[in-house]
Amino acid sequence: MSARARRSPPRRLPAAVAQAGLALIAIVFFFPMVWMVLSSFKSNAEIFRSPFSLPSGIDLGHWTKAWEVAHLGRYAINSAIATGASVLLILLLGAGAAFAFSRYRFRGRGLLLSLFALGLLLPVQSYFIAQSRLFTDLAITDTRLALIVPYAAMGLSLAIYLLKAYLDALPGELFEAARIDGASDLRVFLLLAVPLLRPGLATVAIFSALSSWNEFLLALLYIQDDTLKTIPTGLLAFSSRYVTDYSLLFSALSLVTLPMIVIYLVFNRHIVEGITAGGVK
Amino acid sequence: MKSTRALTPYLFLGPAALVFGFAVLVPMAMTVGYSLTEWTGVGPMRFVGLDNYAKAARDAVFRASFSHVLVYIAATLVLEVGVGLGLAGLISARRGTAWFRVAVFTPVMLPMIVVAVLWSFVYNPDFGLVNAGLAGVGLDGLQRVWLGDTSTALLAISVVSGWVFAGFYMMIFHAALRQLPAEIVEAARIDGAGEWALFRRVKVPMIRNAVAVAVLLCVTGGFQGFDLFFVLTNGGPYGATEIPTTYLVKVVFRDGDVGYGSAMAVILTAVVLGVGLVYARVQRGRSAASRGRWT
Repeated sequence: MSARARRSPPRRLPAAVAQAGLALIAIVFFFPMVWMVLSSFKSNAEIFRSPFSLPSGIDLGHWTKAWEVAHLGRYAINSAIATGASVLLILLLGAGAAFAFSRYRFRGRGLLLSLFALGLLLPVQSYFIAQSRLFTDLAITDTRLALIVPYAAMGLSLAIYLLKAYLDALPGELFEAARIDGASDLRVFLLLAVPLLRPGLATVAIFSALSSWNEFLLALLYIQDDTLKTIPTGLLAFSSRYVTDYSLLFSALSLVTLPMIVIYLVFNRHIVEGITAGGVK
Repeated sequence: MKSTRALTPYLFLGPAALVFGFAVLVPMAMTVGYSLTEWTGVGPMRFVGLDNYAKAARDAVFRASFSHVLVYIAATLVLEVGVGLGLAGLISARRGTAWFRVAVFTPVMLPMIVVAVLWSFVYNPDFGLVNAGLAGVGLDGLQRVWLGDTSTALLAISVVSGWVFAGFYMMIFHAALRQLPAEIVEAARIDGAGEWALFRRVKVPMIRNAVAVAVLLCVTGGFQGFDLFFVLTNGGPYGATEIPTTYLVKVVFRDGDVGYGSAMAVILTAVVLGVGLVYARVQRGRSAASRGRWT
């Protein structure tokens, strides 16, 4: 692209060529996923003989088998519980803290705010060694709390940061008026701030949900009990049990991937906004 | 009345502070404490001062792990930020590219473990896409055991990282480019600037804040990379892809050397926070400079 444009700067590429170029790039990015799904319909022998060929038919047999032997249903439920609970905590506690930081001046405010801001940058490595000792001592490892609590804690910084920015942007008279009408602080929070925060809460929810759903390292360290494993660690355990049963592994990968792609296609705009806002902070 | 009012913010803040303190701040302080000891995680703890830090400075594996992660970061700056910027530039001047953005962004959604297992198949020497593709175009000679070859493993992992995150950065840059005032772009175009010159000399300089954020994210994220490395090579072959995160997990959870692992964790944390501070300093200096110019 660059070389071509430099040779003839003023002329723009013919639209058809550009469109074809974009299509080619899109195919390169998307192809591994297409290949994954196609391979899931093949037998091991077919996968080895002709990696690029289309499957001889759409046989969902591998999928149902993978669903059962990989315990994907169980892992999905565990992921849903860890994700749901941590996102709920993040929204609730994050909104409360953001409300306190935005609406009140109090002793220790600056210090607390900078501690939470530190959390935006802290790598998980800065605390997970001692956290794992702490969780072992308190018998939290191998319980659902072992993931819910750290996921919530990791999401709080970003939630507070984003939600506080939302609240700061609201006109102060709004809150003054409610106060003069005699509403208690809790009522102002629940009936005024939370509804106004809805778009911010949605962004936080999407970002935290994806981070929790995909989290791997802590899940690997804290959950040994197979009945409590989430999708990432469960899938890894499955893939090391069935190392060479490729059609089964491709099926399990497809089963995990396709629902996420569907969710992405449905909520496309919100998800992109949530992820990029969360990333850029 | 007055005293309950004074308590109110703390009541709103309390639960969040409790969870954050318990799960992040306290363990972080404890990790710093561990780093000054010799401890296996059970039994007595022996205070050794800064010995673990001295050991880390001498440890050839730890030093190599830092050069590996620096190579990885350099590669991902090109493959994630660079490619993302290029793709955003390609679509910024066109309409009807929603399908393209969807296709390129999709990998961002997937759990890293799914990505890693999928790409272990893409790189599979027997039936993987890469080798089969090379054979398909008659380049059998270039076939490799990509993840098992010390000269290609690190780059192979970087490519996977690029596959995932190029779409993420493309979206960031796309959003930034859309905010540019159309008049400026049009004016440059009327002045006869080609699309490439327009992109390089007008558009990219105007979104340099977004580029700076992207570089910060890519660098700090790179130091924390773990999932891909753990699944694809776990440090191998022959330590060629050992990075600080995979090494310290081995030292702590396999060898039970909690004290030494904690020292490495503290060093890694200091590096990440240091990068963040340098970035904040530069940004502040820049915005102060621009304020000076405008007022």
